[in-house]
Amino acid sequence: MQATKSFEQAFLKQMLLGIQLSAVSHTTGSLQERKSAIKLSADVAMAVARGSKKWTRGLIASLSKEEQNRSFLQFVLGKEFERPAKICHSSWKIPRSKNIVRRSLRFLSKRQSNIRAPNSSVLAGTLVEKRTQVLKRLVPGGESMDAFSLLDETLDYATCLQAQVDVMQKLMTTLEASKHSRRADSDAQCPKEKFHLLAMVGSWYSTRKGLRKRLSKRPKLTL
Amino acid sequence: MSSRRSRISEEEINELISKLQSLLPETRRRGAGRASSAKLLQETCNYIRSLRREVDDLSDRLSALMETMDNNSAEAEIVRSLLRS
Repeated sequence: MQATKSFEQAFLKQMLLGIQLSAVSHTTGSLQERKSAIKLSADVAMAVARGSKKWTRGLIASLSKEEQNRSFLQFVLGKEFERPAKICHSSWKIPRSKNIVRRSLRFLSKRQSNIRAPNSSVLAGTLVEKRTQVLKRLVPGGESMDAFSLLDETLDYATCLQAQVDVMQKLMTTLEASKHSRRADSDAQCPKEKFHLLAMVGSWYSTRKGLRKRLSKRPKLTL
Repeated sequence: MSSRRSRISEEEINELISKLQSLLPETRRRGAGRASSAKLLQETCNYIRSLRREVDDLSDRLSALMETMDNNSAEAEIVRSLLRS
């Protein structure tokens, strides 16, 4: 998956939604709470923008393990969160590729190491396995993945992480810039523009059926 | 390789591995062809960890920044950047 512009836009949109839901921009709460809220918004936004992948489901699952995240996840995901998550029982699948991939990886490293010490290929096998274990812990949902899925999901996950970082950096720059221009002239934003912007946001919300009802009540979430 | 059980060819695996390799920031330096898979896995792990650290750091900075802005202007700014792109 090539991190597309549409992914970045979807991510930013979701993050805006998250920030508003968690009322993070309000000055109540500690800096630490606000930071956790932003990070949560960012991670959920990334998972939602990407859609259904093993790692996105794994990410949501691990986020929902923490009590303080649940109400936020409920709000953003709605019915999807309530439904019991489809657990991937890899034991049910034919372990199609685990040994094959392991052998292939060993074969590939052998090719490389034959140039130098032929003995290192034996070591390479165990080292590969050790590092695969580390990778499994890093990629959300990785523990239950077979080796091929792990590689595939890792590629996807890393690409999305890159996009997440890029968008958040751009956001930083934009907010910093607007802050400086704000100081320059205090009357920067005319009310008309503000209404237009808020109307745009409003129309996005109304396309999400679940949210319309909830937003009309608009309770403040404490995260 | 047991072709009975596997529906994934070595080609597909190679493709995945080379895609992963090209994703990593270090690969440009590598002149001597493909790195060992152990090295690749290690660099992938390091890369993912560094990306997550960056997200953590950016969350810190964003929250500090938003604290000094009022609600509407921060959110409006995000909306504006969405409209721009």
